[in-house]
Amino acid sequence: MKLSKVFYDGLVKENPIFVQLIGMCSVLAVTTSVMNGLAMGLAVTGVLVGSNVVISLFRKVIPDKIRIPAFIVVIATFVTIVEMFMKAYTQDLYNALGIFIPLIVVNCIILARAEAFASKNGVVASAVDGLGMGVGYTLALLILSALREILGAGSIFDIQLFGPSFEPALIFIMPPGAFILLGILIGIFNSLRKKKSATDA
Amino acid sequence: MNILTILVSTVFVNNFVLARFLGICPFLGVSNKIETATGMSIAVTFVVTLSSIITYVIQVAILDVLGLQYLQTIVFILVIAALVQFVEMVIKKTSPTLYEALGVYLPLITTNCVVLGVAILNIQEGFNLIETIFNSIGASIGFGIALILISGIREQLEPVDVPEALEGFPIALITAGLMSIAFLGFNGLV
Amino acid sequence: MKETIKLGLTLFLITAISASILAFSNKVTSVRIAEADKIADQAAKTEVLPDGEKFEELEEGKAKEIVDENSKITEIFEGYKGDELVGYTIKIKTNGYGGEIEFMTGISTEGKITGIKVLNHGETPGLGANATKAYFTDSFKNKPVDKEVAAEKDPTGDNEVQAITSATVTTDAVVEGVNIAREAYNSKLAK
Repeated sequence: MKLSKVFYDGLVKENPIFVQLIGMCSVLAVTTSVMNGLAMGLAVTGVLVGSNVVISLFRKVIPDKIRIPAFIVVIATFVTIVEMFMKAYTQDLYNALGIFIPLIVVNCIILARAEAFASKNGVVASAVDGLGMGVGYTLALLILSALREILGAGSIFDIQLFGPSFEPALIFIMPPGAFILLGILIGIFNSLRKKKSATDA
Repeated sequence: MNILTILVSTVFVNNFVLARFLGICPFLGVSNKIETATGMSIAVTFVVTLSSIITYVIQVAILDVLGLQYLQTIVFILVIAALVQFVEMVIKKTSPTLYEALGVYLPLITTNCVVLGVAILNIQEGFNLIETIFNSIGASIGFGIALILISGIREQLEPVDVPEALEGFPIALITAGLMSIAFLGFNGLV
Repeated sequence: MKETIKLGLTLFLITAISASILAFSNKVTSVRIAEADKIADQAAKTEVLPDGEKFEELEEGKAKEIVDENSKITEIFEGYKGDELVGYTIKIKTNGYGGEIEFMTGISTEGKITGIKVLNHGETPGLGANATKAYFTDSFKNKPVDKEVAAEKDPTGDNEVQAITSATVTTDAVVEGVNIAREAYNSKLAK
């Protein structure tokens, strides 16, 4: 299997958010600003690559019957390590993301990749898969958070884009905006994919 | 904190699905029919309440005493996973009818972030046991209300001519957004 | 049965390894976390009371007296410049729109509010969360403590501060807290 294909699959073709539609909770919750979205994306990518590598390394040792609890332990370990380091070095971000850092444990993306990919493939491929999925997830977070911050607060990375007379549409930074924008984004992604497959055929 | 305040706040104001974004996967995944939504809600209520009590006791009696707070995430998720398995086995043995109704949803609950989310929030908010129980019940009811409401709307939506690209998930998300706007009205109630 | 035990042991082993890895990384980070907390706390105190160089907790008896009177006050520190007492930093929790708002306010011995800083809050981003922004917090600076502080859309008087647009509850919560701190200062701390 070509590594570039594995990466591309994660990033676009099987993008966890826009195509597989998993791991939505954190996507909706932390995308109130681009900074938060980026931080969450990187945290998830870190956990995803780490757990994929470890699970792939031990895939032949872990008995099949207890693989799910074993995977969960590995994932929870990585999540806790990420949590500790964020608390130590980036406290503001840690506070902003709050409960969604420990909740990376139950982010379906990670367990799904462990089960569907890392437990069946080699270490390098698994690392690339984790990276691809992680970057795909981060990309989705960035698009959504950039839209929400621009529309809802008129800023990006906390830098004001428009003059003081600009009245931001607050709704986009509040919960409803997250749902509606994500729905529209997935819809756009859907129709783009349909067009592409139509021209391919 | 007042128990009534906790209930109103978790069911309406800070609804776990519509304001806190916990449990989105089942919220979108099993909200096609009112019947399945109801089954899921009951199963979640059961697991959330039970797991909150157990994780609370573990936190207070073991982790806090031994200074092992950093093992919280790993311990909680293992407890929840084990509990879900256990509940599944017990229900299967004791009540086949209940198992038939809830069985399919139980394995899905482990990765429902409401369960772990409520367990962690109970500790973070510094609740006592009684408050923990009511917070868990409130969270589950909030989840149930959101789930059942959206499944009702989605049943009505089925015959409607939705733009092709928006069919399924996208339109469900937009519906959820509109529901979330309605729930914003509860803000400031507490 | 034998297989169950073997599976159980394997899982136990995995968990034990994970726990020891976590114990190690906890050891590495915990010092740093405590330090970061301390630095953040110190930074908050210097921000609300810029003249203070050294901060010491208010003596217990006096602190208890104030807290007993108003439980919304959670912590009081004295700020010193050299050996001279220049003011106090007071930590307060009040109820905002999305739960408790915890913030700190500084009051100088000259009887002026020297600054406020919001520490923790659950306010709506774009609305109540603007309580952390400078245009709001700076408007409290240099207000005299002998008059009640009030929020206005276009503050003019020497006791009026900037209200946050569309976030009355948040504004009121912070203003209420500042007034509590002000009264505590007037009745117990002012010389």
